[in-house]
Amino acid sequence: MSGTDRPVSEEDLHAYVDHLLPPEREPVVLRYLRENPEEAERVAAYRAQREVLRAALASRSGGALPHRLNPHALIARRQTERRMKWQAAAMVVIAFGLGGGGGWFLRESVAPPPTAISGLVRDAVANHVVYTADRRRPTELGADQRDDLARWVSNRINYKIAPPDLSDSGYRYIGGRLAATPDGPAGMFMYQNEAGVRLTVFVRPGSSEPNAPIVPVDGKPMGGCAWIEKGVGFTVVAPVPAEELHHLAKEVQRLLDSRA
Amino acid sequence: MTASSDIERIEQCIPALRRYAWTLFRHRDDADDLVHDCLVRALDKLHTRRDDADVRAWLFTIMHNLFVSQHRRRRSRPTTEPLDDDHEVAASLRPTQEDGLLWRDMLRGLERLPEEQRSVVLLISVEDLSYAETAAVLGVPIGTVMSRLARGRERLREYTDSDARPALRRVK
Repeated sequence: MSGTDRPVSEEDLHAYVDHLLPPEREPVVLRYLRENPEEAERVAAYRAQREVLRAALASRSGGALPHRLNPHALIARRQTERRMKWQAAAMVVIAFGLGGGGGWFLRESVAPPPTAISGLVRDAVANHVVYTADRRRPTELGADQRDDLARWVSNRINYKIAPPDLSDSGYRYIGGRLAATPDGPAGMFMYQNEAGVRLTVFVRPGSSEPNAPIVPVDGKPMGGCAWIEKGVGFTVVAPVPAEELHHLAKEVQRLLDSRA
Repeated sequence: MTASSDIERIEQCIPALRRYAWTLFRHRDDADDLVHDCLVRALDKLHTRRDDADVRAWLFTIMHNLFVSQHRRRRSRPTTEPLDDDHEVAASLRPTQEDGLLWRDMLRGLERLPEEQRSVVLLISVEDLSYAETAAVLGVPIGTVMSRLARGRERLREYTDSDARPALRRVK
C-alpha cells in the first residue's frame, strides 16, 4: 500500500494535531475527517487542548533566570570549587612545610575570582592564542617600534602604558598590538624566552571591579593571572606552570607599579 | 562545535526546562532545583555528548532521568495537596477571566493524568519534541509513546469535558 491510500490510523490523527503529518498524507486525513464528523470533533478537541496547554504554560518558563541557573555562573563556580580543593590540599602542604608563612598564601589565593577577573583572563587567553600562534607576524609593531606602540596603545585605550622590561625574567619583548574584547580595546604586549615560549601582557581599562589582587584563573587551553588596579585590568598569559606564571605576573605588577 | 556555542544552546533551552519541570512539581523552587541539577549534570557531561544529538532532547533526557531517580525518594509535594501557585494561574496569567479559568481547568486535568501520559503529552504538545525524540527522552519504544499520547489526550478531553464549563464548550 502506498503512502496515500493507506487507511487513516490513530497515529495519523495525532500527527495531524501536532503538525507533524507528512504532506502527502494530509489530503487522505482531511478527507477522512470530512467523512467522519465524530473523529473530526475529537481531533478538533485535541488541537484546542494543545493550544490551551501551550497558552497556559507559556508563562511557566519562569521569567528572569535566577543566578543559580545561569550556565556561565555554574561553570565559574565549578572551576572555583575545583581550584579551592587544590588550594586546600596545597595549604596543608604549606602549613606543614612552612609553618606561619602559609597564612599569607591563603589570604591571597583562596578568595574566589570575581567575574571581572574571569572575563579578563578569558579575553586575554583568546587573544593570546590567536596572535602568539602566528610565527611570522605575531605583532603589529615590533620591538624596534616600542615607543610608537606605547603611544598608540595608550591613546586607544585611554590609559598611559608602556611594555615592561621582562629581560630579567628571561623574556625578551618582541612587540605588541591592539586587541579586541567584548568590553573594548585592550593593549597587548608580547614576549618570548630562549625556549621560544611566548608570554603576553594584556591591559584593559574599564573593569567592573575597581581593584583586585593577583588571582590565578584556570582556562582552556591555558590559564592566566589577572589583577585590577583602579579599574584597569591586567592579565599575564603564558603556557607555563601556574606557579611560574604567578611569579611572572607579580614581576609584571612590580615593574608596572614602579614605572610611575 | 565549540563549547561556547553548546553553552549558548543550553541557555536557550532553560525556559523550556523550567516550564517542563514546573509541570512535574507545580512548585517553582522544586522545579528550579531539578533544572539546576540537570544543568550541573549537563555541563559535566558536555564533552561526552554526541555532536549530532539535539541539545534540547539531550537536556530533557538528563532531566527526565534525574526526575525518575530523585522523585521516588523525595516526592516533594503530594499530588493531593492544594497546588501552591494555583491561584496565580487563575489570577496573573489571564488575558481574560475566561481564559484564566480555561487554563486552570486544563492544568488541573493535566495534574490528574498518570505521570507517564502527562510527560508524553507535554513533551509533544508543548515542547515540540518529535515522537522519536520523546521516545528517546523517556527511554521507551515509539509505539509506547503513541499509545500514551492517545490515552493521555483522550483522558484530558474527558476531564475537561466533564468539568463542563461554558468556557470549554466554546473551544470545542
